[in-house]
Amino acid sequence: MGKQYEIPLGAQHISLLEPLHFKFTTENERIVDTQANLFYVHRGIEAACCSKFKFRQVSFVVGRVCGLCSISHSTAYSQVAEKLVKIEIPRRAKYLRMLVIEMDRIHSHLLCLSHVAENSGYEALFMKTMQYREFVMELLEAVCGNRIQYDFSIVGGVTRDLKPMVAEIILKRLKIFLPQLDELMDIYKNNWTLSLKNKNAGAITRADAMRLNVVGPFARAAGLAVDVRNETEDLLPWKEVGFEMITETGGDAYARNILRLRELYISKRIIENIIHGLPESPLVTETKAFPDGEAVARIEAPRGELFYYAKGNKTQVLERLKIKAPTFSNVAAMVEALNGNEYGSAPAIIASFDPCLSCTAR
Amino acid sequence: MKLSAFRKKSPWILHYNAGGCNGCDIEILACLAPKYDIERFGMINTGNPKQSDILLVTGPVTKRSRERLVEIYSQMPEPKVVVCCGVCACSGGVFRDMYNCEGGVDQFIPVDVYVCGCGARPEQIIDGVVEALSILEKKTKAMEETVQLKNQPVNEGTQLNRRNTAAAIIQPQ
Repeated sequence: MGKQYEIPLGAQHISLLEPLHFKFTTENERIVDTQANLFYVHRGIEAACCSKFKFRQVSFVVGRVCGLCSISHSTAYSQVAEKLVKIEIPRRAKYLRMLVIEMDRIHSHLLCLSHVAENSGYEALFMKTMQYREFVMELLEAVCGNRIQYDFSIVGGVTRDLKPMVAEIILKRLKIFLPQLDELMDIYKNNWTLSLKNKNAGAITRADAMRLNVVGPFARAAGLAVDVRNETEDLLPWKEVGFEMITETGGDAYARNILRLRELYISKRIIENIIHGLPESPLVTETKAFPDGEAVARIEAPRGELFYYAKGNKTQVLERLKIKAPTFSNVAAMVEALNGNEYGSAPAIIASFDPCLSCTAR
Repeated sequence: MKLSAFRKKSPWILHYNAGGCNGCDIEILACLAPKYDIERFGMINTGNPKQSDILLVTGPVTKRSRERLVEIYSQMPEPKVVVCCGVCACSGGVFRDMYNCEGGVDQFIPVDVYVCGCGARPEQIIDGVVEALSILEKKTKAMEETVQLKNQPVNEGTQLNRRNTAAAIIQPQ
């Protein structure tokens, strides 16, 4: 048994976008124990949503929980609030929500992939992936009016309509994107340099993933078929627009990369189906009711299952709002998957988990 | 050549998220990417506060990240410029008066450039950082002037000759 050293990573580190702190106990450069310390960005959004803001304003506030998946948060909250005021939203609004969620998924997955490439020391691939990602940011701006923080879903529907000209541009740009996606798939699958840092790094078995309640791409890469889009049909009709479950075996960083890229093909298909079959209806259902009772809503954010619980008491202000973010479910498995790996590959593994701490800490 | 001559050509950036929503952070990442390409100004993202010239802060300062922010700022060498990125770093934004938020970076460290917007667009960020460059140059000049004053030779006629004074005091004994 060699001598053990404790190495900290964070709270401020070049490879981290946001403050989180890992304390690794290493032995011969190999991690034997990990402690995660995540809650640096706790802001108290839940408390403010139950006291400071009216329930119609909250969908704009919860969008600011996370900049990467703001549409998932505002949509999940809108669904919960619609259950509380007991309205059904128009069909076109449902389709438009799904459109923006899938476009958001493309940008989030490509960002994660580029971040893995950067932390593996492959700067050129980081640049390439970010370059290919830029088209979806432009499209999101064309659809929602902002590159990030869309404020697209509100209680009762959506804020903007999809113009026919924008729909045409989306289809055209997706056609350009397809060969680029094939190119990325080829690089991430076959590049030898990248495989040195990614293959067998941060691996988790299927049994462990099931035991630790892993969600999202992390679980699907380990062979666990977990996807909210597959389970719920009542709020958003995912199967109508061509959703297909994808799983990978292996559970390492390499499998997670491939899984994310394969999901992009599905996202692209869903977007094309939505645009071709967009139903005609108004955008918003008006109501003057106040929230009453309890409700939950689940939605598949880019990182996994996002869970909202809300309770109303017939006033403008909610009594309780509870957010369970996908990364919160994954923390236990993240710590487990880091053990046994070399310290040098820790940044790449952390990036491949795609942690979102501002969701987790709120 | 002096270091200060190159500082304007290649300032190094340190990025810290003091509790934001990641929105501005991914726009900073987009600035580094080929479309906006902040590296044409010689800027590079570095993780080490001891080597960097510009501190890019995002997010309303949470109570827990406050100490880290001040620590990082104090570790940076002079001259240094602080750029607030996004409306919540400028004033707290939507998070203002939430129980764990302090609301604004400028309550703890001096801020030179405010970049507003939620989220701040890459064009705005580039504009703010280029503005920070001119401030960095001004600060560099101000530092050099003080160094020049210190190095001026002592004029014998105006200065008191301390050795003679000391000798005169010691002499009578």
